[in-house]
Formats: sequence, C-alpha cells, structure tokens
Amino acid sequence: MKKAIAFVLAMALCGAMFGCQSAPAASTQAPSSQADSSQAASSAESKPVEITVVTSYGGDDGNRANYEAAYKAYEKATGNTVKDASGTSNEEWKSKIMADFETGAEPDVLFYFNGVDSNKLVQGGKVVSIDEIREKYPDYASNMKDELLGASPVDGKNYSVPVNGYWEGLFVNKKVLKDCGVEVPGKDYTWDQFLKDCEAIKAKGYTPIACSLQEVPHYWFEFCVFNHDTVDTHTKLPTSSTDEAGKAWTAGLNDIKTLYEKGYFPKNTTTATDAETFQLMADNKAAFAIDGSWKIGWFQQNAKNIDDFTVTYVPAANQRKTTDIIGGLSMGYYITKKAWDDPAKQKACVDFVKAMTTDEVVSTFGATAVTALKNGTKAPDNADSLVKAALSMAAGATGIAPATQDGLNQTARTALFADIKNIVTGKTTAEKAIDKCLAIKG
Amino acid sequence: MNSMIFKKKTPLLVFLIPAFLFMTLFLYYPFVMNVYNSFSNITGLGTAAQGLNQPWYQNYVQLFQDPIMATAVKNTLLLMVLTIIFQVGIALILALLIDNIKKGTQFFRTVYFFPIVISATALGLLFNLIFLYDGGMVNQLLMKFGATEAIDWKDETHYFFTMLFPVMWQYVGFYFVILVTGLNNISPDIYEAAEIDGAGGFKRVRYITLPLLHNVLCTCLTLAITGALKVFDLPWVMMGAGMPMDMSWLTGTYMYNQTFTMGDVDYGSTIAIVIVVLGVVISQLASRIFKEKEY
Repeated sequence: MKKAIAFVLAMALCGAMFGCQSAPAASTQAPSSQADSSQAASSAESKPVEITVVTSYGGDDGNRANYEAAYKAYEKATGNTVKDASGTSNEEWKSKIMADFETGAEPDVLFYFNGVDSNKLVQGGKVVSIDEIREKYPDYASNMKDELLGASPVDGKNYSVPVNGYWEGLFVNKKVLKDCGVEVPGKDYTWDQFLKDCEAIKAKGYTPIACSLQEVPHYWFEFCVFNHDTVDTHTKLPTSSTDEAGKAWTAGLNDIKTLYEKGYFPKNTTTATDAETFQLMADNKAAFAIDGSWKIGWFQQNAKNIDDFTVTYVPAANQRKTTDIIGGLSMGYYITKKAWDDPAKQKACVDFVKAMTTDEVVSTFGATAVTALKNGTKAPDNADSLVKAALSMAAGATGIAPATQDGLNQTARTALFADIKNIVTGKTTAEKAIDKCLAIKG
Repeated sequence: MNSMIFKKKTPLLVFLIPAFLFMTLFLYYPFVMNVYNSFSNITGLGTAAQGLNQPWYQNYVQLFQDPIMATAVKNTLLLMVLTIIFQVGIALILALLIDNIKKGTQFFRTVYFFPIVISATALGLLFNLIFLYDGGMVNQLLMKFGATEAIDWKDETHYFFTMLFPVMWQYVGFYFVILVTGLNNISPDIYEAAEIDGAGGFKRVRYITLPLLHNVLCTCLTLAITGALKVFDLPWVMMGAGMPMDMSWLTGTYMYNQTFTMGDVDYGSTIAIVIVVLGVVISQLASRIFKEKEY
C-alpha cells in the first residue's frame, strides 16, 4: 500500500512538473506557427514572426544582461519573438555554428567573427552582404563607419555589423601592488620595469602574473609577440619561424618562457584552468593579468572591491609603444541567406540588427572606445572606476592592431597554444612549435 | 506454444525491423561513414570532406607516429587493469564484508551505490574542488595537519591518482550491488554445512563463496574492462586537454579533443576506429578468459 501511494505521489510530482512547463511551451510555439502561416501570406511583413538568433552573449558573458535587455526591447517594439540560442565563444561554439550551417540548421541572425573564421560562410554564400541589404533597406547600418565594419578577408566586402569593439589590456590588482610598494603601471611602462616589479611582487609572496599557460596563454602570446613587431606588422603571419614575422613570434614565445622560468606565473600554471588563475586576482593573491574588454564583467561580479582593480597598458619593448594596444572590431551581426530569402523573416531580421546596433544600445555594451559608430560611444552613467580606466586606456591608445592569432585556422591556433606549455618547460622549442603550427593547413 | 510463435513470422518482424532500422541508421551507418571519414580530408567539424587524404592512409601513419596517441592507449590500458584491481576488487571486499553482517545491509547498499546516480560531470566538478591547488579541500586539510606547501594534485607526480580515484570511487558501488546480489543467491545451507565441518571464515570465502561467485565475478570483470575503454566524462572534466603536459590523455578524451577542439575531424575518426578495435579485441579476450562455468 505504501509503495502504491509513493508511486502515485511520484507520478503526481512528475505530472505537475510537466504541467507547469506546458503553458510557456505552448506560448513560445505560437509565434513559430504564426511564422509558418505568415510565410504563405502575401502581407507577411506585418505579422509577428519568430527569428532564431545565435550570439556569443551566452552563459556568463559580461554583456549578457545588456544583450537580453536589448532584444527584449526589440520584441516589445515589434511583436516579433527572438529564439535566443547564444553560447559562450570558444572553439566548440564555432564548430557548432559551422555544423549548423552545413546541415541547413543555421540561425536567422548570427553574431560571429568577421576574420578568417567567417571565410567559409562568405565563400559558401551563407550570409548576405551589407551592400545587398542596403539595396532594399538603404539605412541599414547607416550609423556606422563603413571602413570599420570589419570587411571579409575573402572579398573585402562588409557582411557584419559590429556592436562594441574589443581591446586587450593589463588588469592590475592595486591592493597587491600597494602592499609590494610597486607603482600602478602608466603610459610609459617598459618590459624591463615590469620584470623588476614582478621580482618585487614575487619576493613579497604574491603571484606576479595570473595566467594559465595550460588553458589560456593567448593574451600573453599576443603582447609578447607585439613587443617584437609594430602596429603595422603585427597581423602579418609568418611563413616559417625564420622569416621576420616568425622571428617576432619566436622572440615573443621565448619571453613567455623567461617569465615562466623566473617563476612569475602561478606554480600550477601548466595544470590550472583559466578560472583558477583568475580567482587569484579576485582573492588579492596575484598582481597582473592580461585579458580583453569582456573581462570587465567578471571583475564587477567577483571583485570584493572594484576600486582595488584597474586596467592599463601592457608593458612594451623594442619598437612597440606602451600605448599601442591589441583591439578591433572582430565580431558583428550577420543576416543569413536563408533568413534573407524568407519573405516572412527578412524585415524582422533587418529590424533586429538595426535595433541591436543603435548608438544607445552599443553604448551599453561594455566600456570600450573601440567602435565603428559615427558618433562614438557614450560612457555609461553609472560607470565604476574600472570602466572609467578602461575607457581612458582605449581612448589614449596610439595604435590598435588586431590579434595576430586570428589569422590562424582553428587547428593551427589550438596546436600552437597547446605547445606553449611544452616551450616553457623546454620539451620543445619556439621554432619547432611555430613551424609545426604553420604546417597545419586549414 | 513456441512453435505457434515461430509459425507466424509477421509479429516477429514487426518488432525486430524497427529496432534493426534504428540500429542501422544510428549505429552502423555512422560507423561506416566514420571509416570513410578516416581516409578523407575534413578541415572542420560540420564541413564537408574535401576529397581523400594524400595518401589515403595518411591518418593511420600519423597514428603510429603520434606520441600522444601512444600515451592515450597506454593510459587506457592501465586504467583498465586498475579498474579490475580496484573497482571490482574493492567491490568484492565490501560485498563480502556486508554479507557477514546482519543489520544495515540495505543502508550500505544505498550508500555505496549512490555515486552512480550522480552525473560524471557533477562529480568531476566536485573532485576538482576537492583537489584544487589553491584552497582545495585536500590541501586545506594537509595545511591543518602541518604541511607547509600545497600539493598540485594535477602535476606530473600526482595526476594519475587524481584522475583514477574519482573513476574508481564512482563505479565501486555498481559492482558491489551486482556482487551482493550474487552472494545472496548462495544457499545458507552450504555455509552451515561447512561450519559443521569446521571451516573458518577465510576458508568459507576461499572454498565456497568465490567458486560459487565465479560467474558473477566474470560478468563484473567483463563489464569493468569494457567500461574502462569508454571512460571519458570524468577525466575530461577534471584533466581537460591532457593535463599535465599531455600525460593524462585517454583514447576517448584524445578523440574528442582532436575532433571538437582541434577541428581535425578525419584524425578524430581514425582514433575512433582504434577505440572500436580495442573494444572488440579486448572484450573478446575478456569473455574467453573469464568464461562462465555451468554448474
């Protein structure tokens, strides 16, 4: 009898769970069916439709809340529904998107990279160019500077409309520096001074650099290489480890090796995750970390006191000025060919991209002065000290170079970064790792 | 009755054909395609093959020259041996101990079986926190007991233990429950007779329990061996991309990394074939070595 009652109660619980879910499920299905019917109707544009959108503003992205607020405002204004399938930007996310396009399951609007990562989309005619969209919607992306939209490496045409640009900079734990008697780095911070400061920080028992060489050595690679070339030459990919670009890469990788040998990285840098090493910053155990504009949200969420942190220029060596930074407009909104050819969805997609790239919306997306907006971005009213420092840093940049690693295909890039732990521990050389990665064809 | 069923073939076919079609569509067709993919040039997940590799057997040559693949196969085989020793061994000891107590059997069954119902990903995250270098549970305890420096449980000295321990811990309960069920099937009369003949506890285990448990043990060992070849999720969550220094790769994690992270789909397909071949050969060997007896 007890078993029967327990069974009935368990079934009732399951039923209640499904019951609770059924109502919203039905409501989210409704626009889909409306979309289907509107496709057949001649007055398609006036009926609300559901559009599928994939962006990198998923998971714990610092701009997730801004993105949600923006697309909900679009839904409210148009009556259309956004089926959001955003994820976190990493190699798996990129692979999934490519697989979706290959299998005909692509989204209607995609927020994606505009460099070599998008080559297959452009080559396959899977996305629509801005010129083609403007033939029917002349004011599309009219608030943006065309030369900064991020032209495709395939044909030099613009396909995507960027939101906020990105920069990479040196995040600093001011509390740790103060305890070590080290000044917060400024516009003339040199690599030699940085090494001296790291030594002082290490002597005091702190970890000078929060970085996982196992998982995310990308940013240190980028700036260490940048210190051996210039804004103009930084994006030039080497053909071998012995040409000019190859020598810069070799020298940069050897600089990382020097930092490792001096013990400036966390002791477990070859076994730790990125999250573990960044936690050292939040716990006031590490002094420096290089990351991008998207990391500001992480500090805002995890720092006990945001005023203990600032972001500044990465120390420079050789020809590079300290104020030369890595940055650019590497991502933007694409309208897929499939959605463009669908009369029910075409206008909805155009309106969506326009709504997500207005001056007001772009200004809410993180602290970055790197923008394609003709009028520039406005600083948020409630900007904290870290955001203000970021805006000041980006505004004071004397040169901006895109990340050189973006020129590598996925396999080559992953292979190179997987080898950095082997370079620093002497299991391979920088030259061998570079030549191995360059031999991988995309 | 049986002859009646076999005279009417239609019901049989109605039940068999859907399952056969399902298996063909979702198992055999992908497997054949996987073999074909291993000879093709596929530069990214989701992208179509750009013809065959030059030479077509290129990936198989690479397989034998790849030091990480050798590490992965070695680790997988080692994990298999240790699975037999620790998972089935500890489960057997626990089952024998539980068999000798009168109260609390059900309690211990539940306690030991419980890790099975927790997802491997959740367990991986849990053990990541336990073995965390900075502020992890084990290191905090060691510090409390006077250790001066934290241990990096994922370094080159400790990584195998750190990877192995959660895998062993998770599945001990599974084999424990199977073995306890097997022990319950042994008639108490035999033990009583042995006791009258003066057999002690150890002799009862040696001459009665283990021989009568032979078939159940064989099943457990075969399951453990084939299970070890498929271990993926826990090591992937805990050790990521072969940390430390590409030493912790297993065939499953290496195949996943090549396919999904590196985008080298054709080489990933080749590794998948190695996994299948290893699985078939080893499970055949296991079923011959651990052949069940008929009593």
